[in-house]
Amino acid sequence: MKKAEAAKRTRKVLPIVEAALLVGLLAVPHITSDFQTIIASRMLILAILAISFDLCWGWSGIMTFGQALYFGVAGYVAALLANKAGIVELLLILPVSMATGLIVALLIGWFLLLGKRTPTVIFVALGTLTASYAAERLVAGWQWVGAANGMSIWEFATIGGAEIEPGMLFYYFILAFLVAAYLLSRRIVRSQFGLVLAGMRQNEERLAYFGYRVQVFKALIFAFAGMLAGLAGGLYAFHEGFIGPASMGMGLSTYAVLYGLFGGIGTLAGPIIGVGAIETLAFVLSDINALKPYWPVILGLIMLVVVVYRPTGLLGLVLSDRERVGSYGLGGDGAAATEKAKAAAAEPAEAKRGAA
Amino acid sequence: MHSFHKRIFTKSPGGERLDDAVKLVFDVMAFASIMVLVVSGLAVIASLMGIFNLAHGEFVLLGAYTVYLFREWGLPIWLGMMVAPFVVGLFGAVIERGVIRRLYSQPIIAMLATYAIGLIVREIVRGLIGGQYYAVAEPIDGSWSVGGLNFSIWRTVIIVSTALVMLGAWLFLTRTSIGLQIRGALENPALARASGVSTTKLYALTFALGASLAGLAGALMVPLFSLSADLGVRFLVQAFLSVMLGGVGSFEGPLLGAAMIGSMVPGFQWLREIPGVSAAVSPVVAEVLVFVAALVIVKFRPNGLINSGRR
Repeated sequence: MKKAEAAKRTRKVLPIVEAALLVGLLAVPHITSDFQTIIASRMLILAILAISFDLCWGWSGIMTFGQALYFGVAGYVAALLANKAGIVELLLILPVSMATGLIVALLIGWFLLLGKRTPTVIFVALGTLTASYAAERLVAGWQWVGAANGMSIWEFATIGGAEIEPGMLFYYFILAFLVAAYLLSRRIVRSQFGLVLAGMRQNEERLAYFGYRVQVFKALIFAFAGMLAGLAGGLYAFHEGFIGPASMGMGLSTYAVLYGLFGGIGTLAGPIIGVGAIETLAFVLSDINALKPYWPVILGLIMLVVVVYRPTGLLGLVLSDRERVGSYGLGGDGAAATEKAKAAAAEPAEAKRGAA
Repeated sequence: MHSFHKRIFTKSPGGERLDDAVKLVFDVMAFASIMVLVVSGLAVIASLMGIFNLAHGEFVLLGAYTVYLFREWGLPIWLGMMVAPFVVGLFGAVIERGVIRRLYSQPIIAMLATYAIGLIVREIVRGLIGGQYYAVAEPIDGSWSVGGLNFSIWRTVIIVSTALVMLGAWLFLTRTSIGLQIRGALENPALARASGVSTTKLYALTFALGASLAGLAGALMVPLFSLSADLGVRFLVQAFLSVMLGGVGSFEGPLLGAAMIGSMVPGFQWLREIPGVSAAVSPVVAEVLVFVAALVIVKFRPNGLINSGRR
């Protein structure tokens, strides 16, 4: 009885976190300078990317080291549309970006996930990494898309014909997309579909015995995540007025992993917090010149510490395991379930199958 | 970007076709040797501990960086090459003791940890060399000739030392008692522990050994490539493709895969010598084509080219 009450009480933490986040994000442009609002807008865009990583790794056990690929390709498509075709209408660009991300992710997912052999975590991790690395190298050597210099978009984007420049309005525009992406993702992971994902992560073989084609489910959520990353890429290209090879390769992919792990995977809200924490830290530290070249080293150290000592991330500090991935809907059978959830959170998916 | 290809593939005037062919064969063999060194280190760690070491590329980078440091300090380059495997091996041992050891029961977490370690090493090196490309000269320049054909001495050294190291590793694994213990632990870790074999020590030793092989590869190949911070990523990707091509589960499979990837890289670059191709295919495209080719093969032969008949 007492346990059930405790469970009920802890179950309410995530909605509080979500509400606080929303209120905080709504308030941001009113308490920051214009310049800081632009930085914050960029964080929101990266948060969409981080959510797409969480959908893959936190919820479905697909390790993706190449989430920036869809972000980058969609960003390049957006920049090409603007520069070569003169299309700057966001209501047109963003669906195209999303479709681009979706298609590229479907292709990669088909390639990596839907093989004859069940792919291991390592195979998918390195496969996505290879794709991302290869794409970055290709784009960096391709004159038509600006090679290593990337592409700048000189014109401001328009929404329904009205020009929009980075600032408060753009911030709320992006925030609307972030909230939509968040709610849609939340809806998906808490649906029957999400339950299959959760089951798959706990014990993929058993789900397969039930008759689920687990790889198809993985490919679907992977493609959806790719679509979100594409949306972020399209927004990014116009918000920053620039897209370069670095937005496609290992660097940004690593950031996506880091945001998720640091904020807390399997929560959807965690990655948003992760983006906020890491980018704010980067913003503050960028004033200290001596530290600047070694900032990625600090990131690596943070990642190492999180991975080894705190696999549940920042949000894991306040959130019970019950509220994290796939534990909802479980009866109050106390410590055993919590322990199991903890073990599952620590090593999702086919971890037991090993690295081979 | 890579002085390697530029230097080798400049067209020689006049009919030196045979010399060109010999050069190509030597390039292919030298590159394949380096890949074999890289992949054998990766494979021995993966098969014994079940951990795919994502920092392996950075071990290669550290080997190369050690040689570069020796040059900067005015010490002989060959000495750097001798020392590099030990430096990287020691580094590997420290990493194993400090981080990897506590994660043997969670291979996926261990993989993430090695990724973080790779990131740290890569970025430290980038900070130290300032995002530049550096060339390191071959310690023994020039060529030796037989019957009018010229062979590059340095490529010969690479090929011969790889062969020696592989022979040594094979003898170590099959003829010594530690080798026997390693093979035992590979077969059945629980039984090995029950028989009084300290697997912890073996794992530390193997990890250090695998790291030092990567370090040696990095040291030997640095005269052929330019040193840059992203060198390791490239080798990690190529090593991964090698393992996939060769097929997982055997020791010789990945090595054959390594030899294939190792030959494809200079091979695809060589294709650019064909008139008309070089305009359409830039060096970078040729490099990426290797990835695509390897991935397509893996897609249709998921158990690897070599192993596919056996399973």
